[in-house]
Amino acid sequence: MKLSVENGCFSYPHGGREVLKNINFSAQEGDMVAILGPNGAGKTTLLRCIMGFLRWGAGASLLDDRNIRDIPYRELWQAVAYVPQARGVASSSTALEMVLLGRGSRVGLFAKPGAADLEAAQQAMRRLHIEHLESKRCSEMSGGELQMVLIARALASDPHILILDEPESNLDFKNQLLVLNAMSELTASGMTCIFNTHYPAHALQRAGKALLLSKGGESLFGQTHAVVTERNIQKAFGVRAVIGELETPSNMVHDVVALEICERGGAESGAEEQVRRELAVVSIISQDFEISSQINQLLHEVSQHIVGRMGMPYRDMGLYIINVTLDAPAGVVQALCAKLNVLPGVAVKATYPRETASRGDVQPKKEA
Amino acid sequence: MRREITGGLTWRSRALLLLLPMVAVVAALSIGRVGVPVSYIFDSVLDKLGTQAAELMTQYESVLWKFRLPRILLSLLVGAGLSVSGCAFQSLFSNPLATPDTLGVASGTSFGAALALLLGFGMLGVQAMALFFGIAAVALTYLAGSGKGRSSMGMMILSGIMVGSLFTALISLIKFTADTESQLPVITYWLMGSMSAAGYDSLLLGAPLIVLGIAVLYLLRWRLNILLLSDDEARASGMNVKAMRIVTVLCATGITASCVSMCGQVGWVGLLVPHLCRMRYGSNHLALVPSSVCVGAAFMVAVDTMARSVSAAELPLSILTAIIGAPFFIVLMRRSGGWQM
Repeated sequence: MKLSVENGCFSYPHGGREVLKNINFSAQEGDMVAILGPNGAGKTTLLRCIMGFLRWGAGASLLDDRNIRDIPYRELWQAVAYVPQARGVASSSTALEMVLLGRGSRVGLFAKPGAADLEAAQQAMRRLHIEHLESKRCSEMSGGELQMVLIARALASDPHILILDEPESNLDFKNQLLVLNAMSELTASGMTCIFNTHYPAHALQRAGKALLLSKGGESLFGQTHAVVTERNIQKAFGVRAVIGELETPSNMVHDVVALEICERGGAESGAEEQVRRELAVVSIISQDFEISSQINQLLHEVSQHIVGRMGMPYRDMGLYIINVTLDAPAGVVQALCAKLNVLPGVAVKATYPRETASRGDVQPKKEA
Repeated sequence: MRREITGGLTWRSRALLLLLPMVAVVAALSIGRVGVPVSYIFDSVLDKLGTQAAELMTQYESVLWKFRLPRILLSLLVGAGLSVSGCAFQSLFSNPLATPDTLGVASGTSFGAALALLLGFGMLGVQAMALFFGIAAVALTYLAGSGKGRSSMGMMILSGIMVGSLFTALISLIKFTADTESQLPVITYWLMGSMSAAGYDSLLLGAPLIVLGIAVLYLLRWRLNILLLSDDEARASGMNVKAMRIVTVLCATGITASCVSMCGQVGWVGLLVPHLCRMRYGSNHLALVPSSVCVGAAFMVAVDTMARSVSAAELPLSILTAIIGAPFFIVLMRRSGGWQM
């Protein structure tokens, strides 16, 4: 089943400003789509529009190319299920009663859930490994437990598409993993998951596709690695962030770390395509004296950028240490580091000055 | 199916709940200024069913079937009806303080009755007029509370309170203009609630709406759980939330208007009984609706029996419901440590 949005535009009746402009995206079976964006960019509004809780000003949400407005309630909500944010639910009903409510689209209007519905509810709970919560009251649950129960409630209707509103917000590390793992497993089994998140890292780690909303209403949709980039994050969030890879014993994990707030923030700073770092200190530690000639060769290639250099052998530990200060475009420094990095027994790291210090301060010092 | 985890009633509770109103009815038939032995009641019922059991006494016969039974039937209906509509309103507004009068029905109905009494209508005229104004009050609330596009439940409650106070003021106006010797006492007593006007003909006019309302709400009882969720969640359960809300409001106000039109304002029952049942049977409407019907019916029969038998003059119902209900409620609330929706 395919869920797509075509040219979706939305503005609140009295607000005037267009919250969402020309949203386009589609999700196929087995897709996980992350919706990212700063507070107030309209992530929740977008989800509500997608599901028809709010009416698009222009454009439409399509389920298998049928406008969801034309699909009867029961039929629509048998195919699609919604997991709201797990804010403390005051309901004193048990988890199983809560999950059973998810059968609403499959139980007759005047009927109450029967044995088949009970089985489906319990099946949904087993699928998420939370059958032990069955008789626990929702009002006494932790945030993580409640979120899992709400996902189970959505699963109880056997949907094809799951729409989750910030499913891992307000959860601790373990519960975040539990929720994300559950989503990954569901996606692997052919379900479509569309979720809002505040964590670009979760999008990178889990979702194949991402939709990035900016405060102005613009959006960007595509493969996650193409959408969630340092540049786009800066553009949408007004935050300079680095995307790095963490090496674990088994694999590489992408992570995003927010470094600092860009004063100009917002969309216009996107004009600055490449952050120009003019000064860099490259520190090199080599375990092998033989290699030093190769290092020197590489450094020689960039000699016109080198403003300072220090090299010394540290014979006690059999190490050779080099510190080079370069005044060069960031690309040159990165290329140098990459080349040094592949040499055997060589560790290399570049350090840059803080971006916030205005360049006017840096340059006179350099000339002096 | 394990009832305790799915929120339904166990067979034991069901039997108990069914027994409760039956015991209340038999007791109510027997108790009164003219005491009728319980054994005589059974004899008389058997006689009606065709078996010649014992000699019947005309005095008992007329007390039982002409005076007490219609009263008891009315009490059953009113108790069950007000309790269920209380449940429905509390679910509809996700608010434990909602009562059948939240949308201004009871005030509207009372106004209609007071107006009819002022104009000197007969009992059936009063009932019809009361019913009409009750429905009109809800319609007014709905029109006032549903704005363009987004109509929120909060706005609905507020406009209900406004419409309610409007009709309360109009009732005061009627009392003010009423003749202090003849009309004012009648209006005042009527407003305090009494089952004494019960007769088979007034039941025939009021009962169908109550029975229909209770039946529909009973059938929708599982869905009342969904209505308690947030708006988006309720819609995501594949239910037409707007239609469901309208049906619920129609049933609950229909019941309330019918009840008030027959016996005046009986305060408290719609708040008291659902919460008693919540404390005892949990907040799942699968259990709450049937238990409220049974407990509400039994409670009302008991209160009415007390109203007509504790003193020579009949006591108004709303006085008794509060005097009996409030302490009982507080004791139970403290013992059970409260409850949740």
